[in-house]
Amino acid sequence: MKKNTFYILIGCIALALLALFIYSIETRLIPLWIEPVAFVIGILIVYTARKSVTDLIEDERSAKITENAVVRTFQVFWVVFCAFSIGAVMDLLYLPQFSRERFLGRPPGILTIRMMGYFQLGLLCLMIFLYVGFRMYYARKYGDWETDEE
Amino acid sequence: MKNKIKVFRAMHDMTQEDLAVAIGVTRQTILAIEKGKYVPSLDLAFKISRHFHVNIEEVFAYGEETRTIDID
Repeated sequence: MKKNTFYILIGCIALALLALFIYSIETRLIPLWIEPVAFVIGILIVYTARKSVTDLIEDERSAKITENAVVRTFQVFWVVFCAFSIGAVMDLLYLPQFSRERFLGRPPGILTIRMMGYFQLGLLCLMIFLYVGFRMYYARKYGDWETDEE
Repeated sequence: MKNKIKVFRAMHDMTQEDLAVAIGVTRQTILAIEKGKYVPSLDLAFKISRHFHVNIEEVFAYGEETRTIDID
């Protein structure tokens, strides 16, 4: 399989998963477990297809780019994620008062536990963009877009 | 790290693509090494030098950067 065919396959799988997601949300005809299972199957297909790509060479430089990008992404991500989570828990519990009564009798406020979960989910999605950004930075640093006379 | 890959390639009449295929890396990696953007691992450095049938020191040279400090 050629590299471009592989990328087209990834795009098709992503679109199919998105379509399944939207369809299941809109119609509610599909059982809830279908989407996560379809996601796992899609990833398995991608990993299997990747082994048959003939013109995709992964050498030590590309491994180093990936490694550095992953490390930097986690270094930034866990700080932002923990800072937000701690802040959200502080807000939910009205710290530093530690007033259980106020926590239990709290009217619907700015931040609920569900909202906190959504924000954390959003941060997880942002991690993908962070990774892409770092990957582009290190790819450039290690000469991915260098041109030569040849 | 300085290297003479370009010189050895010219001596052997090889393109970056030829060398990349011969040692199993991408052309971009050879280009990055030649331009000093990427320092290869020992394994890759040995592969390159062995491909040209020379010692590793003949292809790669460790060039330590020197710093000058002005003390008034």
